[in-house]
Amino acid sequence: MTSTPGIRRTPRTARRPRTPRSRTRPPRALAALAVLSALALLLSGCSGDASGSSGGKVTLTFAWWGNDDRHKRTNEAVDLFEKRHPNVTVRTSFASYESYVQKLATQAAGGDLPDVAQLDYRQISQYAGSDTLRDLGPYVKSGALRTGAFDKELLSTGAYEGTQYALPMGSGTTGFAYDAAVFEKAGVDPPKPGWTWQEWADAGRAVSDLGLKGPNGKPYTGHTDMGVHEDAFEMWLRSRGKQLYASEDELGFTARDLARFWSFTDKLRREGVVSQAKDTSQISGAVESGPMGRKLAATDFTWDAPFLGYPPLLGDSVHFAPVPTTGGKAGQYIKPTMLLGVGANSEHPKEAAELVDFLLNDPAAGDILGVTRGVPPNQEIAERVSKDLKGPEKELYDFGKKVIRYGVDPPPKAPPRGDVVLQVSFSRVYQQVVYERQSPAEAAEEYVAEAERELR
Amino acid sequence: MTAQAPPPAAAAERPAPARDRAAPGRRRPVRRERQGPAYIFLSPWILGVVLLTLAPMAVSLYLSFTDYNLFDPPKWVGLRNYAEMFTEDPRYWRSVGTTLLYVVVAVPLKLALALGVALLLNSMRTGKGFYRSAFYAPSLLGASMSIALVWRALFNDGGTVDELLSGVGINTGGWVADPDLAVFVVVLLTVWQFGAPMVIFLAGLQQIPTDVYEAAALDGAGRWRQFVSVTLPMLSPVLFFNLVLETIQSFQVFTPAFAISAGKGGPADSTNFYTLYLYERGFSASHMGYASAMAWVLLLAIGAVTVVLFRTSRSWVFYANEEG
Repeated sequence: MTSTPGIRRTPRTARRPRTPRSRTRPPRALAALAVLSALALLLSGCSGDASGSSGGKVTLTFAWWGNDDRHKRTNEAVDLFEKRHPNVTVRTSFASYESYVQKLATQAAGGDLPDVAQLDYRQISQYAGSDTLRDLGPYVKSGALRTGAFDKELLSTGAYEGTQYALPMGSGTTGFAYDAAVFEKAGVDPPKPGWTWQEWADAGRAVSDLGLKGPNGKPYTGHTDMGVHEDAFEMWLRSRGKQLYASEDELGFTARDLARFWSFTDKLRREGVVSQAKDTSQISGAVESGPMGRKLAATDFTWDAPFLGYPPLLGDSVHFAPVPTTGGKAGQYIKPTMLLGVGANSEHPKEAAELVDFLLNDPAAGDILGVTRGVPPNQEIAERVSKDLKGPEKELYDFGKKVIRYGVDPPPKAPPRGDVVLQVSFSRVYQQVVYERQSPAEAAEEYVAEAERELR
Repeated sequence: MTAQAPPPAAAAERPAPARDRAAPGRRRPVRRERQGPAYIFLSPWILGVVLLTLAPMAVSLYLSFTDYNLFDPPKWVGLRNYAEMFTEDPRYWRSVGTTLLYVVVAVPLKLALALGVALLLNSMRTGKGFYRSAFYAPSLLGASMSIALVWRALFNDGGTVDELLSGVGINTGGWVADPDLAVFVVVLLTVWQFGAPMVIFLAGLQQIPTDVYEAAALDGAGRWRQFVSVTLPMLSPVLFFNLVLETIQSFQVFTPAFAISAGKGGPADSTNFYTLYLYERGFSASHMGYASAMAWVLLLAIGAVTVVLFRTSRSWVFYANEEG
């Protein structure tokens, strides 16, 4: 940070007249000590000003992942917070999801989590269980963190073994982004609540049968291959009365369940109903890189917040449909889109809690942030924000309310620690299927074996 | 460390300390007195070796017998990491296979290209300096992430290579997304960086005395004969040096694979090189114990391969002083 004023005042040693060499020559042991201590200083030099505060000034670090729109809005909200708290400076950093998760894990391992960190649902068990997050209970109790207007079930997703470690930043749900114009061309009715996986497959078949071409003359398929999504599998599984995890160290399904799911998507791939291997393997989480974003498929399985990336890319005919059901049973649930936690080693937990409270509960912050992280968890803010929404954002907001009426289960317990890894493994193992290096059954066996090693 | 009290280790080295003391004006004690400053000046390097190399290695060896996720204290699991690696993890063997394929293909190709270009440059009369720099440039740039990213863009779906091939009717859909071709994108990137061994070959070629060639020519040897009977044997120490160096480096290939597969080793694990998998286990999946075990196996494997290379070298590497 800034140089300390003390340094200037000390007289410059170079100006001092030199004493004869023979007299100042230090004993060897002393010389060695000098070299060593100089080295030690060098080694520790990086941590010069670790306190983060000087003269009553407090510096907070705040990190998140997201797209450009989210970065812009969040920075704006942070500016407002700084204006209201002149003694607090917030240093922000952000990245895309994958690099963010990796960086955060390294920081957490070094005991150096940002003061305020945006967290994924999957990270809660890992971080809370290893004491990298601060217990927010005292701040909730003292009223520094207001949670009165929060949905209780949603709030509980930030708790781990009875302790509130994080607060949700929004609620969201899964669905299918689909291009209504293409559906109409193929003579398929817009998806209705309660539509089945079979109807979903048939819709894709009808679209593929149109024989449309995407850029570079590639065939335009009905669906993005959702076999790569652990989340999609979870919905499919839940609609069959099972779940991803039975407990902290046990899967809630068998290799046969997974083989059935992958056989279903693999067959559709062979028929040309879903995206082809080379396009499926480029799915990275960013809407632009997936088959639908590249104008090669008419639908994509997605969470509602990223869905907002599609209309600007593909036009107003893109809408959001509920997840298909199995004989009317939906597997969908409302999940926290992301959460906010405070680092266990934060030196300014009070100010960090203030920042969290501001982002989640301040009406002005709510206006700035909008629904960029899903429907706000504070229901008053959500109500307030919803009034100004239009277009796709309005559609999503209404969808969230509608989905609740179709019947959704409460969110399952936060996934166990290993899930951060397993989510990545899921799509990677499925690549063995789409490139026809393994049968769905073999791949499912490999995944389940890996999951069991990961969870033990 | 003064003259009056020599350290016991130093004293033990010398067979007759009494004689030294009897003759204080002789060379040895003076040299001993000057050792102190030498060690002080060496201390940064000694500290570096101990703190940055030996200590981490010891810790890594210890960690390889533990389950360590970076957050909780390491749990001792004995040989389980090694057992899991060899018996339960199909990805481990896939990464071994990919790495071996890469070493076997990339090293000979790269050396052949380096030698070929070195031969061409050696026979050139003008512009040698320019071409030498031009061919060496990729080696300087190649280690960087940015070149690997450019390479990825070239061979990606819709990239330049794909477009050019599509232009002549071969539609690959991008090499990067093809599990059968992706590994060769990495191979090509490595082979393209043949500059470093080339420069060494060039130096070796210039060491070969011209009169040997003249003698061979007088005996009626053609260019090919000269190459096989003169150049190759005379160059064999340099060839051996390059072979060992490149092999060791190839086992540790990381940056290009990381960049070309966006850190994932895909598609379908086809570019999941050993070091990439090691990195993923350690830093993405937080299994530091497992990653450490992998690192030690790699170290042993490279050691073994190097020993084998040295053994075989006895039959094909000729040193000038042996021939006499």
